[in-house]
Amino acid sequence: MDIVLRAAFAFAFIFFLTRIAGRRELSSLEPFDLIMLIVLGDLVQQGVTQSDYSITGLLLAAGTIALMQVAVSYVNFRFKRVRTVLDGEPIVLIEDGRVLTRNVHRERLTRHELEEQARLNQIDSLEKVRWAVLETSGAISFIPKK
Amino acid sequence: MADQPDGIVLTRHRDLHGRGWHPWLRRSLVGLVALVALLALLGFVGQSPSTTQTVTPAATLSVNAPASVRGGLLYQARFTIVAHQELKNATLVLNAKWIDGLTVNTIEPSPVNEASRNGKLALELGHLAAGAKHVLYLDYQVNPTTVGSRTLEAELEDGEQPVASLTRHLRIWP
Repeated sequence: MDIVLRAAFAFAFIFFLTRIAGRRELSSLEPFDLIMLIVLGDLVQQGVTQSDYSITGLLLAAGTIALMQVAVSYVNFRFKRVRTVLDGEPIVLIEDGRVLTRNVHRERLTRHELEEQARLNQIDSLEKVRWAVLETSGAISFIPKK
Repeated sequence: MADQPDGIVLTRHRDLHGRGWHPWLRRSLVGLVALVALLALLGFVGQSPSTTQTVTPAATLSVNAPASVRGGLLYQARFTIVAHQELKNATLVLNAKWIDGLTVNTIEPSPVNEASRNGKLALELGHLAAGAKHVLYLDYQVNPTTVGSRTLEAELEDGEQPVASLTRHLRIWP
């Protein structure tokens, strides 16, 4: 029984950690950001299954995490207010070529990182951006000026 | 005409109205995680050892072991007995909580005899001359499913005559 509780706790705790860590860590591929994502996976496995090498243990842990995922996505789908808490909300970073410094700093982003993301979207200057929005997934969407 | 992207509400997503407290909540929660790490550094969740000692005219009995451990961890309890007078048959009697839910990997040096005494573990150490010192090591691993707090009792006897006793607490974190 305890492996189910451990898996459920691990899911909830990692979800909590990723929410408080901020969105930039979710989609960023910077080396230091990757450390958290990679190392967490290994640490979580030890806490969940410990010395259980059985197929039963695998079924219980993986099944519990899958069920938690389904439950969270259902709650997200069903209740808008909960969705705001679980997923967060988008933030506008650039409006009409003007970087909204307060919003950018709030998400611990730099202008350099914004420019990098713009280049990845085939935009060579932030001044050509009509809207840039940091989405709840951690990705930045760019809408160029017409 | 508002030309913002669909789903974007400027007051909420650009001007952040009603969201001013969000960063503070996030900082508070990060602080909570940091607090747990700080408590761990201070040894609150194991496994820094501490010593409990009792002194009687007949002997000194002390135990050095962690007061907090976590599931799966290896740790050691070191019993030190100093005889102030001759103990013809020193016996260390441990209540069941010293063993229940824990794996005892080894006891060194091996006792002369081991027995159950009303559910307690009696480790017969043999003869100790006055002034002699006996150190006994118990090496453990915490069974992953064992959690909670428990009271550990240890009693030093000469034959079946109590000589010294001590009590300590062990907290096992999941």
